[in-house]
Amino acid sequence: MTKYVIRRLLQAIPVVIGITIVTYALMLAAPGGPAQKFANNPRMTPAAKEKFLKAWGLREPIPVQYGRWMGLLNPDEDGIAAFLGPSGWPNFLPTGISGADNGILHGDFGYSIDSGEPVGSRIARAALPTVILAGFALFFWLLIAILMGVFAAIKRYSFFDQAATVFAYVGFAMPTFWLGLMLIFLFGVNLKWLPVSGMTETRLSPPFGSDAYWTYFGTTPLTALQDIGKHLILPVVTLVVVNIAGDSRFVRASMLETLGQDYVRTAKAKGLPNRVVYFRHALRNALLPVVTNIGLEIPFLFTGAIVTESIFSWPGIGKLTIDGIRNFDYTILMGVLMITSTIVVMANLLADIAYAFVDPRIKY
Amino acid sequence: MAQVPGPAALPVNPGASGPDEGGATDYEVNLKSLTQFELVWRKFRRHRLAMVGLGLLITMFAAAIVGPIFLPFTVDDIPDAATKAYEGLPPFCTNYLATSLPHTCASYGLTHPFGTTGGLQWDVFTLVLNGARTSLLIGFSSMAIGVVLGTIVGAIAGYIGGFLDNVLMRIVDVMLSLPLLFVILVVSRFFKDQRDNVWQIILIFGVFSWMGVSRLVRSLFLSIREREFVEAARAVGVRDRRIIFRHILPNALSPIVVAASLIVAGNIIGEAFISFLGFGVNPYTPTWGNILSNSLTYLLVGNWWWPAFPGLAIIVTVLAVNFVGDGLRDAFDPRTRA
Amino acid sequence: MTEVLAAPGPVGAPPDRDVLLEVRSLRTYFKVLDGIVPAVDDISFSLKRGQTLGIVGESGSGKSVTALTIMRLLDIPPASIGDGSEVWFDGREILSMPLDEMRKIRGNDAAMIFQEPLTSLNPVFTIGDQIAEQVELHLKIKKRAAMDRAIESLQLVGIPSPERRVKQYPHEMSGGMRQRVMIAMALSCEPKLLIADEPTTALDVTIQAQILELLKSIQQRTGSALLLITHDLGVVAEMVDNVIVMYTGQIVEQGTVHEVLLEPRDPYTMGLLESIPSVEKRGGRLSAIKGVVPSPFNLPPACRFEPRCPYAWDRCRTVPPDLNRVGSGGHLARCHLHTSEGAGRLPDALQRHRTALNLGRTLPTGGH
Repeated sequence: MTKYVIRRLLQAIPVVIGITIVTYALMLAAPGGPAQKFANNPRMTPAAKEKFLKAWGLREPIPVQYGRWMGLLNPDEDGIAAFLGPSGWPNFLPTGISGADNGILHGDFGYSIDSGEPVGSRIARAALPTVILAGFALFFWLLIAILMGVFAAIKRYSFFDQAATVFAYVGFAMPTFWLGLMLIFLFGVNLKWLPVSGMTETRLSPPFGSDAYWTYFGTTPLTALQDIGKHLILPVVTLVVVNIAGDSRFVRASMLETLGQDYVRTAKAKGLPNRVVYFRHALRNALLPVVTNIGLEIPFLFTGAIVTESIFSWPGIGKLTIDGIRNFDYTILMGVLMITSTIVVMANLLADIAYAFVDPRIKY
Repeated sequence: MAQVPGPAALPVNPGASGPDEGGATDYEVNLKSLTQFELVWRKFRRHRLAMVGLGLLITMFAAAIVGPIFLPFTVDDIPDAATKAYEGLPPFCTNYLATSLPHTCASYGLTHPFGTTGGLQWDVFTLVLNGARTSLLIGFSSMAIGVVLGTIVGAIAGYIGGFLDNVLMRIVDVMLSLPLLFVILVVSRFFKDQRDNVWQIILIFGVFSWMGVSRLVRSLFLSIREREFVEAARAVGVRDRRIIFRHILPNALSPIVVAASLIVAGNIIGEAFISFLGFGVNPYTPTWGNILSNSLTYLLVGNWWWPAFPGLAIIVTVLAVNFVGDGLRDAFDPRTRA
Repeated sequence: MTEVLAAPGPVGAPPDRDVLLEVRSLRTYFKVLDGIVPAVDDISFSLKRGQTLGIVGESGSGKSVTALTIMRLLDIPPASIGDGSEVWFDGREILSMPLDEMRKIRGNDAAMIFQEPLTSLNPVFTIGDQIAEQVELHLKIKKRAAMDRAIESLQLVGIPSPERRVKQYPHEMSGGMRQRVMIAMALSCEPKLLIADEPTTALDVTIQAQILELLKSIQQRTGSALLLITHDLGVVAEMVDNVIVMYTGQIVEQGTVHEVLLEPRDPYTMGLLESIPSVEKRGGRLSAIKGVVPSPFNLPPACRFEPRCPYAWDRCRTVPPDLNRVGSGGHLARCHLHTSEGAGRLPDALQRHRTALNLGRTLPTGGH
């Protein structure tokens, strides 16, 4: 098992390197480039500007720029010596060994062109709302998709199955943002039941994530949670409805295939009650392909979050991205692209490992 | 010794029949041999949803192409000051009772089946038809680019194999790990020309939709290349290009067509989203996404019909494309009967 | 996936105490795209406690469907069971019984072994789990005791080091081993009836003999009745007391194994026996029954074997034959040769059958 995990990790490395190259190439090819953009930003102090230009090597040849951005090269040295960090060890090693703290390998993503804030902390600040939104969405998405798929398969051709089929077709064809708009109209504008924008009620509390907010949260945690909960409902529903469509079909197909297997007949012949036949013998097997599928769908959760967050002004990574695109904030975009793509690679890896873990037939 | 057809489960049938060999003749049937296209079409026709989808698509295309010519409104119409109102008219409504607030509809008619927009009082039906032209163009053209690119890359990777295959497939891995909508947004925001940019959008979507197809084509090539008929072709000295185009590709056609239908659906929705955010097609060109984008402010005053109908148009189109894709998948599947 | 049966017709009187299984005019239909297929068409038979019965037939003759119907393992729909069909098991009619009651019988009083040992075990559970699960359910004992019982039954079927085997997954075992596991599973609750549906078809020839030997010895030791379904006449000869021959969903001949295999009286059975290759017949031509099994949508109007029957005459094309008594005992054959109309043709038919059987032995090829 350990060997298998290590092999898969090694296979992931070239993909991550490819992602860094694509990310960097994207920024290089963009008109203007960050240096120019920075020059006009009054909010950046000259010291921060100088540090950024040097750290990213924007006055050097492209391979050096890439090397510094990655943290492979020490920005204070030139030539071969640049590969060594301040402590004499290779620069790409962790800060504790190499003494280097530049580049994304050391968690340094530079400064936001727009706000001057370090990219790392800006993204970290936006990550919590996204994790909350995506977490809830993923939970309900999987739960509902699996239940719908399983019951549709068990009660094949029943009214429920047909209704689920129609729902899946329509949900699959429905643009996420349009569903968001319609929900906003129905529950926000027309019925006025639910808030349609943001994560918290701005009149009641300081902006989410600020120090003042956490003080407020500390004094009245229940009210604060209730407030977030109310704001969560519409974005979560939007993400869930669109995503369960395809997955419930996938689960249904997988379950149907499993129900036709000989071992399901054996389980029935043993006199097991339906509950055990379906949920122990069949479901366990039917979920095996679903595990892999979930890994492959993590990117959709993220793009779904971009869409949903931009519709509902949810202050997460998605909104950060859209704002970044709007303001040509390269550094933020590169940071987001790097982090999310790496998460996707890791999620696929985890899905593969989980698959090997739950299917005894897989040899490591 | 004539072979007797029949199930071989019993030790009865292997071998020849006795003196009377007439049994087999009863089962000879005159079969007209059909070309692959005829077979597929015959099966496709029986697929009810697929035929509905095809009908819808044809109607959509026809309406998108000729519709705007026959309609009494154009997108450029500016209402005269007398009828100008802040809010638009709901579906089938012809005019409001002037004084009452909130507005109630005074009379109904067929002039504006989808209502009119707030502000410039455009007819939503006309807008949706005009939007269909660009949205369908983008969806289908970008699919064509993606499929051609993907087929070429997949065919090269699968047929040549080796180092090149490895490099190409790692590139696909990288591309598929990126959140593509994100990349498309960035690219269209950073690189596109702000004037007439429909073709740029098509290109951007095309360039980011080939990866799935290339994986598919590669795996098909890997399996088909080992099949006997390809070996036979190679044995008699058929050149690579001919093997690829005449022997392998026709066999890979059906999964490609199905994948293509998914790409069309995805790109129509994707285009709508980036245009909705204002990073897509020039806002003066009506696409479904642009119409939705413009409707935002008026949604908050209750003009639900403005965003509702372009959205429904997207759903209907994507449904139709998916139905056709399903129908084609079943029709190409040799296990289903004609 | 519902398993609810259509309301059964009036239920007759139970059979004698010593009859474990009695099937009365059982009909099973399948609804398919092109219409309704009668897979089992009015069959009746009975099996006494501790006895063995073989059902022989080609694929599609309805023998497996018969077994699945008895166990009520068919999905209804697409399957349906004809009115008036009755299956009496251990003094109770089981087709009309609520499914919950039926579940108490399945795996407990009546167990089944399937054809494909490779796919009949659940790949994601250890074999110990799979056996113990059944024991736990029916014998209402604790998990630990159930696992001990699983080990015992693995030992019974001759699996070496069963304590280790219970922790293994099915894919870690060979086909023959897995079929032993299936048998161990079926025997774990000491059933009164064991149904084996082609238990050796998927196995190597050498393993086949071992598995059959095992089934036979266990059946004798435990005293359970055995319903053996096979297409292999050799297996039948080895294993059973009585034989039923099925063709297109009907019984065409039934009797003791001695009667059916040595004195067959239905032309289909005769044909089957004539077509078995044997060492003695070396050099002669192998005979086969001419033609193929008719499509269930296009059955011959009267006798279903008539188009392939070498002895058929006009009557066979117009009047469907009944199961006629042959001789004095329970030997029955579905053929007009055993009616007064066909009596004249019978000696000739029997003579031709004997000639066909002895063909190889009488034709000198140098050796004899």
